[in-house]
Amino acid sequence: MTVFAHARSVRLVLHACLLMAVVLSERACGGSTAGMSLLPAGNYRPLFRATNDPETQTVASFWLDRTPVTRGQFLDFVKACPKWRRSRVIRLFADTSYLSDWKADLDPGIDKDPQVLSRPAVQVSWFAARAYAEWRGCRLPTTPEWERAAAEGFLLAEGLKEPEFRTALARWYGSAAPEVLPLVGSGRATLHGIHDLHGLIWEWTEDFNSSLVTGDSREDTGLERQLFCGAGSVGARERSDFPAFMRAGFRSSLRSPYTLSNLGFRCALSAKP
Amino acid sequence: MTPLPFLALAWITLLLVSGCRSKPEVVTEVAPCCRKLLTNTPASDRSLFQLDSEWTSDLGKTIRLGTLRGHPQVVALFFSHCEFACPLLVARMKAIEAALPPSGRKDAEFLLISIDPDRDTPAALHAYRARQGLSLRRWTLLTGGSGSVRELAALLGVQYQRDARGQYAHSNLLTVLNAEGEVVHQSSGLRAEVDDLVAAVVRLSPPAH
Repeated sequence: MTVFAHARSVRLVLHACLLMAVVLSERACGGSTAGMSLLPAGNYRPLFRATNDPETQTVASFWLDRTPVTRGQFLDFVKACPKWRRSRVIRLFADTSYLSDWKADLDPGIDKDPQVLSRPAVQVSWFAARAYAEWRGCRLPTTPEWERAAAEGFLLAEGLKEPEFRTALARWYGSAAPEVLPLVGSGRATLHGIHDLHGLIWEWTEDFNSSLVTGDSREDTGLERQLFCGAGSVGARERSDFPAFMRAGFRSSLRSPYTLSNLGFRCALSAKP
Repeated sequence: MTPLPFLALAWITLLLVSGCRSKPEVVTEVAPCCRKLLTNTPASDRSLFQLDSEWTSDLGKTIRLGTLRGHPQVVALFFSHCEFACPLLVARMKAIEAALPPSGRKDAEFLLISIDPDRDTPAALHAYRARQGLSLRRWTLLTGGSGSVRELAALLGVQYQRDARGQYAHSNLLTVLNAEGEVVHQSSGLRAEVDDLVAAVVRLSPPAH
Protein backbone atom coordinates (compact mmCIF):
# COMPACT_ATOMS: atom_id res chain seq x y z
CA MET A 1 0.00 0.00 0.00
CA THR A 2 1.39 3.40 -0.86
CA VAL A 3 2.02 5.83 1.95
CA PHE A 4 -0.65 8.24 0.80
CA ALA A 5 -3.30 5.56 0.41
CA HIS A 6 -2.16 4.48 3.85
CA ALA A 7 -2.59 8.02 5.12
CA ARG A 8 -6.10 8.15 3.70
CA SER A 9 -7.07 4.85 5.24
CA VAL A 10 -5.49 5.98 8.49
CA ARG A 11 -7.76 9.03 8.39
CA LEU A 12 -10.75 6.76 7.78
CA VAL A 13 -9.74 4.56 10.69
CA LEU A 14 -9.36 7.61 12.89
CA HIS A 15 -12.82 8.84 11.98
CA ALA A 16 -14.20 5.37 12.61
CA CYS A 17 -12.44 5.37 15.97
CA LEU A 18 -13.96 8.68 16.95
CA LEU A 19 -17.41 7.48 15.95
CA MET A 20 -17.01 4.20 17.81
CA ALA A 21 -15.64 5.97 20.82
CA VAL A 22 -18.66 8.27 20.99
CA VAL A 23 -21.08 5.37 20.60
CA LEU A 24 -19.42 2.79 22.81
CA SER A 25 -17.58 4.68 25.47
CA GLU A 26 -19.35 6.00 28.50
CA ARG A 27 -16.37 7.96 29.67
CA ALA A 28 -15.22 11.44 28.82
CA CYS A 29 -15.47 11.79 25.05
CA GLY A 30 -16.23 14.88 23.10
CA GLY A 31 -15.23 17.32 25.81
CA SER A 32 -16.83 15.77 28.90
CA THR A 33 -15.16 16.70 32.17
CA ALA A 34 -15.84 13.46 34.05
CA GLY A 35 -12.89 12.64 36.31
CA MET A 36 -11.52 16.17 36.06
CA SER A 37 -11.27 19.13 38.43
CA LEU A 38 -11.70 22.72 37.40
CA LEU A 39 -8.67 24.78 38.31
CA PRO A 40 -9.36 28.51 38.57
CA ALA A 41 -7.09 30.98 36.82
CA GLY A 42 -3.78 31.06 38.58
CA ASN A 43 -0.21 32.16 38.43
CA TYR A 44 2.66 30.33 36.89
CA ARG A 45 6.16 31.44 37.69
CA PRO A 46 8.24 30.26 34.74
CA LEU A 47 11.47 28.65 35.73
CA PHE A 48 13.21 30.20 32.77
CA ARG A 49 12.28 33.51 31.35
CA ALA A 50 13.80 36.32 29.32
CA THR A 51 15.11 39.27 31.34
CA ASN A 52 12.27 41.60 30.46
CA ASP A 53 9.50 39.05 30.83
CA PRO A 54 7.20 39.36 33.85
CA GLU A 55 8.00 37.04 36.74
CA THR A 56 4.57 35.51 36.79
CA GLN A 57 2.27 34.55 33.98
CA THR A 58 -1.43 34.05 34.31
CA VAL A 59 -2.75 30.65 33.40
CA ALA A 60 -6.42 30.73 32.43
CA SER A 61 -8.88 28.46 34.19
CA PHE A 62 -8.87 24.89 32.85
CA TRP A 63 -9.95 21.34 33.61
CA LEU A 64 -7.36 18.76 34.58
CA ASP A 65 -7.65 15.00 35.09
CA ARG A 66 -7.58 14.20 38.79
CA THR A 67 -5.27 11.28 38.15
CA PRO A 68 -2.94 10.25 35.35
CA VAL A 69 -4.43 8.20 32.55
CA THR A 70 -4.58 4.54 33.61
CA ARG A 71 -3.67 1.43 31.69
CA GLY A 72 -7.34 0.51 31.66
CA GLN A 73 -8.19 3.78 29.94
CA PHE A 74 -5.33 3.38 27.50
CA LEU A 75 -6.56 -0.15 26.77
CA ASP A 76 -9.96 1.27 25.79
CA PHE A 77 -8.15 3.64 23.45
CA VAL A 78 -6.05 1.00 21.66
CA LYS A 79 -9.13 -1.24 21.39
CA ALA A 80 -10.90 1.58 19.59
CA CYS A 81 -7.89 2.71 17.54
CA PRO A 82 -5.90 -0.24 16.17
CA LYS A 83 -3.15 1.87 14.66
CA TRP A 84 -1.97 2.66 18.20
CA ARG A 85 -1.62 -0.96 19.21
CA ARG A 86 1.90 -2.08 19.98
CA SER A 87 2.26 -4.33 16.96
CA ARG A 88 0.98 -1.69 14.54
CA VAL A 89 2.32 1.61 15.79
CA ILE A 90 4.36 3.63 13.32
CA ARG A 91 7.96 3.64 14.51
CA LEU A 92 8.24 7.37 13.87
CA PHE A 93 5.61 7.99 16.53
CA ALA A 94 6.75 5.59 19.23
CA ASP A 95 10.05 3.87 19.94
CA THR A 96 10.61 0.15 20.40
CA SER A 97 9.71 0.23 24.10
CA TYR A 98 6.17 1.37 23.42
CA LEU A 99 3.86 -0.56 25.79
CA SER A 100 6.71 -3.01 26.23
CA ASP A 101 5.47 -4.19 29.60
CA TRP A 102 2.12 -5.27 28.17
CA LYS A 103 1.67 -8.96 27.47
CA ALA A 104 0.05 -8.38 24.09
CA ASP A 105 -1.60 -5.66 22.00
CA LEU A 106 -4.76 -5.80 24.08
CA ASP A 107 -3.45 -7.31 27.31
CA PRO A 108 -1.76 -5.09 29.91
CA GLY A 109 -1.06 -8.22 31.98
CA ILE A 110 -4.15 -8.72 34.14
CA ASP A 111 -3.26 -12.34 34.91
CA LYS A 112 -0.01 -11.41 36.57
CA ASP A 113 -1.39 -8.30 38.23
CA PRO A 114 -5.17 -8.05 38.78
CA GLN A 115 -4.94 -4.34 39.59
CA VAL A 116 -2.89 -3.38 36.56
CA LEU A 117 -5.76 -1.49 34.92
CA SER A 118 -5.66 1.07 37.72
CA ARG A 119 -1.96 1.77 37.44
CA PRO A 120 -0.75 4.74 35.42
CA ALA A 121 -0.25 4.18 31.70
CA VAL A 122 3.47 4.43 30.99
CA GLN A 123 5.77 3.51 28.09
CA VAL A 124 3.72 5.81 25.90
CA SER A 125 5.20 8.41 23.57
CA TRP A 126 4.10 12.01 23.25
CA PHE A 127 2.34 11.18 19.98
CA ALA A 128 0.43 8.33 21.62
CA ALA A 129 -0.54 10.55 24.54
CA ARG A 130 -1.81 13.24 22.17
CA ALA A 131 -3.68 10.67 20.11
CA TYR A 132 -5.36 9.38 23.27
CA ALA A 133 -6.31 12.91 24.28
CA GLU A 134 -7.72 13.64 20.84
CA TRP A 135 -9.71 10.40 20.91
CA ARG A 136 -11.16 11.37 24.24
CA GLY A 137 -12.01 14.89 23.08
CA CYS A 138 -9.44 16.56 25.30
CA ARG A 139 -5.81 17.57 25.00
CA LEU A 140 -2.56 17.44 26.90
CA PRO A 141 -1.99 20.22 29.45
CA THR A 142 0.56 22.87 28.49
CA THR A 143 3.66 23.15 30.65
CA PRO A 144 2.40 26.36 32.32
CA GLU A 145 -0.90 24.64 33.12
CA TRP A 146 0.83 21.57 34.51
CA GLU A 147 3.26 23.60 36.60
CA ARG A 148 0.49 25.89 37.87
CA ALA A 149 -1.38 22.82 39.08
CA ALA A 150 1.80 21.31 40.53
CA ALA A 151 2.55 24.45 42.54
CA GLU A 152 -0.52 23.84 44.71
CA GLY A 153 -0.09 22.23 48.11
CA PHE A 154 -2.54 20.15 50.08
CA LEU A 155 -4.16 23.18 51.67
CA LEU A 156 -2.49 26.26 50.20
CA ALA A 157 -2.34 27.59 46.66
CA GLU A 158 1.43 27.90 47.10
CA GLY A 159 2.58 24.49 48.19
CA LEU A 160 6.13 25.64 48.93
CA LYS A 161 4.73 27.66 51.84
CA GLU A 162 3.32 24.50 53.44
CA PRO A 163 5.83 22.57 55.56
CA GLU A 164 3.96 19.28 55.24
CA PHE A 165 3.83 19.58 51.46
CA ARG A 166 7.49 20.54 51.26
CA THR A 167 8.40 17.48 53.27
CA ALA A 168 6.33 15.27 50.99
CA LEU A 169 8.02 16.84 47.95
CA ALA A 170 11.48 16.21 49.33
CA ARG A 171 10.57 12.60 50.05
CA TRP A 172 9.09 12.03 46.61
CA TYR A 173 11.85 13.63 44.57
CA GLY A 174 14.52 12.17 46.78
CA SER A 175 13.55 8.55 46.38
CA ALA A 176 13.77 6.12 43.50
CA ALA A 177 10.68 5.01 41.63
CA PRO A 178 9.26 1.69 42.86
CA GLU A 179 9.42 -1.23 40.47
CA VAL A 180 5.67 -1.63 40.49
CA LEU A 181 3.93 1.72 40.28
CA PRO A 182 1.15 2.33 42.80
CA LEU A 183 -2.48 2.65 41.76
CA VAL A 184 -3.43 6.11 40.56
CA GLY A 185 -5.10 8.28 43.16
CA SER A 186 -3.49 6.53 46.11
CA GLY A 187 -1.57 9.66 47.08
CA ARG A 188 -3.14 12.58 48.90
CA ALA A 189 -4.95 15.10 46.70
CA THR A 190 -3.84 18.71 46.53
CA LEU A 191 -6.00 21.79 46.93
CA HIS A 192 -8.33 21.19 43.97
CA GLY A 193 -8.55 17.43 44.20
CA ILE A 194 -5.66 16.60 41.90
CA HIS A 195 -3.64 13.48 42.74
CA ASP A 196 -0.22 12.25 41.74
CA LEU A 197 1.32 15.36 40.20
CA HIS A 198 4.30 14.51 42.38
CA GLY A 199 5.70 11.20 43.45
CA LEU A 200 4.19 8.84 40.92
CA ILE A 201 5.39 9.38 37.35
CA TRP A 202 6.76 12.10 35.11
CA GLU A 203 4.12 13.44 32.74
CA TRP A 204 4.07 14.62 29.12
CA THR A 205 2.87 18.11 28.33
CA GLU A 206 1.75 19.52 25.00
CA ASP A 207 4.78 21.79 24.73
CA PHE A 208 7.38 19.64 26.50
CA ASN A 209 9.86 20.79 23.86
CA SER A 210 9.69 24.39 25.06
CA SER A 211 12.18 23.51 27.78
CA LEU A 212 15.55 24.95 26.81
CA VAL A 213 17.79 23.77 29.61
CA THR A 214 21.27 23.02 28.38
CA GLY A 215 23.31 22.56 31.52
CA ASP A 216 23.22 19.97 34.28
CA SER A 217 23.79 22.37 37.09
CA ARG A 218 21.43 24.87 38.69
CA GLU A 219 24.12 27.42 37.93
CA ASP A 220 23.52 27.07 34.22
CA THR A 221 21.06 29.86 33.83
CA GLY A 222 21.74 31.33 30.43
CA LEU A 223 20.93 29.98 27.00
CA GLU A 224 23.86 28.40 25.26
CA ARG A 225 24.13 30.93 22.45
CA GLN A 226 25.41 28.58 19.81
CA LEU A 227 22.63 26.09 20.38
CA PHE A 228 19.72 28.39 20.99
CA CYS A 229 18.48 31.62 19.50
CA GLY A 230 16.86 33.71 22.17
CA ALA A 231 16.38 37.15 23.60
CA GLY A 232 18.14 38.51 26.61
CA SER A 233 19.37 36.13 29.24
CA VAL A 234 16.74 33.50 29.74
CA GLY A 235 17.52 32.45 33.25
CA ALA A 236 16.29 30.42 36.18
CA ARG A 237 14.20 32.24 38.74
CA GLU A 238 14.55 30.34 41.91
CA ARG A 239 17.08 27.67 42.47
CA SER A 240 15.47 26.46 45.66
CA ASP A 241 12.54 24.96 43.72
CA PHE A 242 14.61 21.93 42.96
CA PRO A 243 11.70 19.73 41.81
CA ALA A 244 10.70 22.32 39.22
CA PHE A 245 14.29 22.44 38.03
CA MET A 246 14.38 18.67 37.79
CA ARG A 247 11.18 18.62 35.79
CA ALA A 248 12.44 21.28 33.39
CA GLY A 249 15.68 19.39 32.93
CA PHE A 250 13.83 16.15 32.43
CA ARG A 251 11.47 17.63 29.83
CA SER A 252 14.44 19.09 28.05
CA SER A 253 15.92 15.63 27.63
CA LEU A 254 12.78 14.13 26.14
CA ARG A 255 12.16 13.47 22.48
CA SER A 256 8.65 12.91 21.20
CA PRO A 257 8.86 9.21 20.31
CA TYR A 258 10.49 8.27 23.64
CA THR A 259 8.69 5.88 25.93
CA LEU A 260 9.81 5.41 29.52
CA SER A 261 8.69 3.18 32.35
CA ASN A 262 7.99 6.16 34.61
CA LEU A 263 6.60 8.62 32.06
CA GLY A 264 2.87 8.89 31.51
CA PHE A 265 0.37 11.69 31.11
CA ARG A 266 -3.00 13.12 31.99
CA CYS A 267 -5.53 15.15 30.02
CA ALA A 268 -6.72 18.73 30.19
CA LEU A 269 -9.55 20.72 28.70
CA SER A 270 -9.93 24.46 28.27
CA ALA A 271 -12.68 25.94 30.41
CA LYS A 272 -15.51 27.52 28.48
CA PRO A 273 -15.40 31.30 28.97
CA MET B 1 8.15 6.98 -24.66
CA THR B 2 6.21 8.87 -27.36
CA PRO B 3 6.31 12.68 -27.47
CA LEU B 4 2.65 13.01 -26.52
CA PRO B 5 3.00 12.19 -22.77
CA PHE B 6 5.93 14.58 -22.60
CA LEU B 7 3.82 17.36 -24.09
CA ALA B 8 0.97 16.55 -21.73
CA LEU B 9 3.35 16.65 -18.78
CA ALA B 10 4.73 19.98 -19.89
CA TRP B 11 1.24 21.47 -20.16
CA ILE B 12 0.24 20.10 -16.75
CA THR B 13 3.41 21.52 -15.26
CA LEU B 14 2.72 24.95 -16.73
CA LEU B 15 -0.86 24.83 -15.47
CA LEU B 16 0.24 23.84 -11.96
CA VAL B 17 2.87 26.52 -11.88
CA SER B 18 0.49 29.19 -13.13
CA GLY B 19 -1.98 28.20 -10.43
CA CYS B 20 0.57 28.81 -7.70
CA ARG B 21 2.22 32.02 -8.69
CA SER B 22 1.12 35.25 -7.10
CA LYS B 23 2.32 37.40 -9.99
CA PRO B 24 2.69 36.65 -13.69
CA GLU B 25 6.20 35.56 -14.40
CA VAL B 26 7.65 32.88 -16.62
CA VAL B 27 8.82 29.98 -14.46
CA THR B 28 10.22 27.12 -16.43
CA GLU B 29 10.70 24.79 -13.46
CA VAL B 30 8.10 23.82 -10.86
CA ALA B 31 8.43 25.27 -7.36
CA PRO B 32 8.70 22.40 -4.85
CA CYS B 33 5.36 23.18 -3.17
CA CYS B 34 3.59 22.99 -6.49
CA ARG B 35 4.72 19.48 -7.39
CA LYS B 36 2.25 16.66 -7.74
CA LEU B 37 2.24 14.18 -4.87
CA LEU B 38 4.28 11.09 -5.70
CA THR B 39 2.26 8.00 -4.93
CA ASN B 40 4.19 5.14 -6.47
CA THR B 41 6.36 3.59 -3.75
CA PRO B 42 5.52 3.37 -0.03
CA ALA B 43 7.35 5.70 2.34
CA SER B 44 9.34 4.10 5.11
CA ASP B 45 8.23 3.83 8.70
CA ARG B 46 10.63 6.61 9.65
CA SER B 47 9.52 9.10 7.05
CA LEU B 48 8.35 12.51 8.22
CA PHE B 49 6.11 12.47 5.14
CA GLN B 50 3.76 10.23 7.09
CA LEU B 51 2.50 13.34 8.84
CA ASP B 52 -0.85 14.39 7.45
CA SER B 53 -0.60 17.93 8.79
CA GLU B 54 -1.39 20.66 6.28
CA TRP B 55 0.88 23.60 5.53
CA THR B 56 0.55 26.71 3.40
CA SER B 57 3.48 27.90 1.33
CA ASP B 58 4.42 31.50 0.68
CA LEU B 59 3.02 30.92 -2.81
CA GLY B 60 -0.38 30.27 -1.28
CA LYS B 61 -0.44 26.53 -1.92
CA THR B 62 -1.76 24.23 0.81
CA ILE B 63 0.20 20.99 0.91
CA ARG B 64 1.19 18.09 3.05
CA LEU B 65 4.91 17.53 3.59
CA GLY B 66 4.75 14.49 1.32
CA THR B 67 4.57 16.82 -1.66
CA LEU B 68 8.30 17.44 -1.18
CA ARG B 69 9.07 13.77 -1.57
CA GLY B 70 11.66 12.81 -4.14
CA HIS B 71 14.28 15.42 -3.22
CA PRO B 72 16.60 15.61 -0.21
CA GLN B 73 15.65 18.54 2.03
CA VAL B 74 17.70 20.77 4.29
CA VAL B 75 15.24 21.88 6.94
CA ALA B 76 15.19 24.61 9.55
CA LEU B 77 12.53 26.00 11.84
CA PHE B 78 12.70 29.78 12.03
CA PHE B 79 10.59 32.90 12.27
CA SER B 80 10.89 36.03 10.12
CA HIS B 81 10.96 38.45 13.07
CA CYS B 82 13.94 36.70 14.54
CA GLU B 83 16.49 39.25 15.68
CA PHE B 84 19.27 36.89 16.54
CA ALA B 85 20.34 33.66 15.02
CA CYS B 86 17.83 32.89 12.27
CA PRO B 87 19.65 35.08 9.73
CA LEU B 88 22.76 33.03 10.50
CA LEU B 89 20.83 29.81 10.18
CA VAL B 90 19.54 30.82 6.74
CA ALA B 91 23.05 31.92 5.80
CA ARG B 92 24.29 28.43 6.67
CA MET B 93 21.67 26.98 4.39
CA LYS B 94 22.68 29.31 1.57
CA ALA B 95 26.28 28.29 2.14
CA ILE B 96 25.27 24.67 1.75
CA GLU B 97 23.45 25.54 -1.46
CA ALA B 98 26.53 27.28 -2.83
CA ALA B 99 28.89 24.53 -1.77
CA LEU B 100 26.97 21.70 -3.40
CA PRO B 101 28.49 20.23 -6.57
CA PRO B 102 26.33 20.65 -9.69
CA SER B 103 24.71 17.20 -9.38
CA GLY B 104 23.88 17.75 -5.70
CA ARG B 105 22.65 21.25 -6.28
CA LYS B 106 20.16 20.07 -8.89
CA ASP B 107 18.54 17.67 -6.50
CA ALA B 108 18.64 19.17 -3.03
CA GLU B 109 16.01 21.56 -1.74
CA PHE B 110 15.71 23.85 1.22
CA LEU B 111 12.76 24.04 3.59
CA LEU B 112 12.01 26.80 6.08
CA ILE B 113 9.08 26.35 8.41
CA SER B 114 7.88 29.12 10.67
CA ILE B 115 7.33 28.66 14.39
CA ASP B 116 5.45 31.96 14.45
CA PRO B 117 2.30 31.25 12.41
CA ASP B 118 0.50 34.33 13.77
CA ARG B 119 2.90 36.74 12.13
CA ASP B 120 4.40 34.58 9.40
CA THR B 121 1.48 34.56 7.03
CA PRO B 122 2.13 33.41 3.45
CA ALA B 123 2.50 37.05 2.42
CA ALA B 124 5.01 37.74 5.19
CA LEU B 125 6.97 34.66 4.17
CA HIS B 126 6.93 35.75 0.54
CA ALA B 127 8.37 39.12 1.52
CA TYR B 128 11.02 37.30 3.56
CA ARG B 129 11.89 35.18 0.52
CA ALA B 130 12.37 38.35 -1.53
CA ARG B 131 14.53 39.99 1.17
CA GLN B 132 16.70 36.92 1.46
CA GLY B 133 16.86 36.21 -2.26
CA LEU B 134 15.72 32.59 -1.99
CA SER B 135 15.09 30.89 -5.31
CA LEU B 136 11.59 29.70 -6.09
CA ARG B 137 13.01 26.59 -7.67
CA ARG B 138 14.73 25.25 -4.56
CA TRP B 139 13.36 26.94 -1.47
CA THR B 140 10.04 26.18 0.19
CA LEU B 141 8.68 28.42 2.94
CA LEU B 142 5.78 27.04 4.97
CA THR B 143 3.42 28.13 7.70
CA GLY B 144 0.94 25.94 9.56
CA GLY B 145 -1.22 25.55 12.67
CA SER B 146 0.50 25.75 16.05
CA GLY B 147 -0.28 22.08 16.79
CA SER B 148 1.29 21.00 13.49
CA VAL B 149 4.37 23.11 14.19
CA ARG B 150 4.70 21.66 17.68
CA GLU B 151 4.40 18.16 16.22
CA LEU B 152 6.99 18.69 13.50
CA ALA B 153 9.38 20.38 15.93
CA ALA B 154 8.97 17.45 18.28
CA LEU B 155 9.84 15.02 15.47
CA LEU B 156 12.92 16.98 14.47
CA GLY B 157 14.02 17.49 18.07
CA VAL B 158 13.73 21.27 17.92
CA GLN B 159 12.84 23.04 21.13
CA TYR B 160 11.19 26.43 21.16
CA GLN B 161 9.46 28.79 23.52
CA ARG B 162 7.77 32.13 23.05
CA ASP B 163 8.56 35.01 25.34
CA ALA B 164 6.29 37.88 26.37
CA ARG B 165 7.64 40.10 23.58
CA GLY B 166 6.71 37.60 20.89
CA GLN B 167 10.30 36.59 20.31
CA TYR B 168 11.03 32.90 20.26
CA ALA B 169 13.91 31.12 21.87
CA HIS B 170 14.58 28.04 19.78
CA SER B 171 17.20 25.46 18.93
CA ASN B 172 19.55 26.32 16.10
CA LEU B 173 19.22 23.03 14.33
CA LEU B 174 19.61 22.11 10.69
CA THR B 175 18.24 18.77 9.57
CA VAL B 176 18.91 16.86 6.37
CA LEU B 177 16.10 14.62 5.14
CA ASN B 178 16.61 12.13 2.36
CA ALA B 179 14.23 11.95 -0.60
CA GLU B 180 11.95 9.69 1.45
CA GLY B 181 11.68 12.18 4.29
CA GLU B 182 13.84 10.31 6.79
CA VAL B 183 16.21 12.27 9.04
CA VAL B 184 19.74 11.35 7.99
CA HIS B 185 21.81 14.14 9.55
CA GLN B 186 21.46 16.99 11.99
CA SER B 187 23.74 19.84 12.90
CA SER B 188 23.40 22.21 15.84
CA GLY B 189 24.97 25.60 16.23
CA LEU B 190 25.85 28.62 14.18
CA ARG B 191 29.44 28.01 13.17
CA ALA B 192 30.38 28.86 9.60
CA GLU B 193 31.53 25.43 8.42
CA VAL B 194 28.87 23.42 6.68
CA ASP B 195 31.07 20.58 5.40
CA ASP B 196 29.26 17.88 7.35
CA LEU B 197 25.90 19.04 6.02
CA VAL B 198 27.16 19.37 2.44
CA ALA B 199 28.63 15.87 2.65
CA ALA B 200 25.36 14.51 4.00
CA VAL B 201 23.40 16.06 1.12
CA VAL B 202 25.89 14.92 -1.52
CA ARG B 203 25.62 11.34 -0.25
CA LEU B 204 21.90 11.49 -0.97
CA SER B 205 22.08 12.77 -4.51
CA PRO B 206 22.06 10.34 -7.40
CA PRO B 207 25.42 9.98 -9.14
CA ALA B 208 25.94 12.23 -12.15
CA HIS B 209 25.31 10.47 -15.45
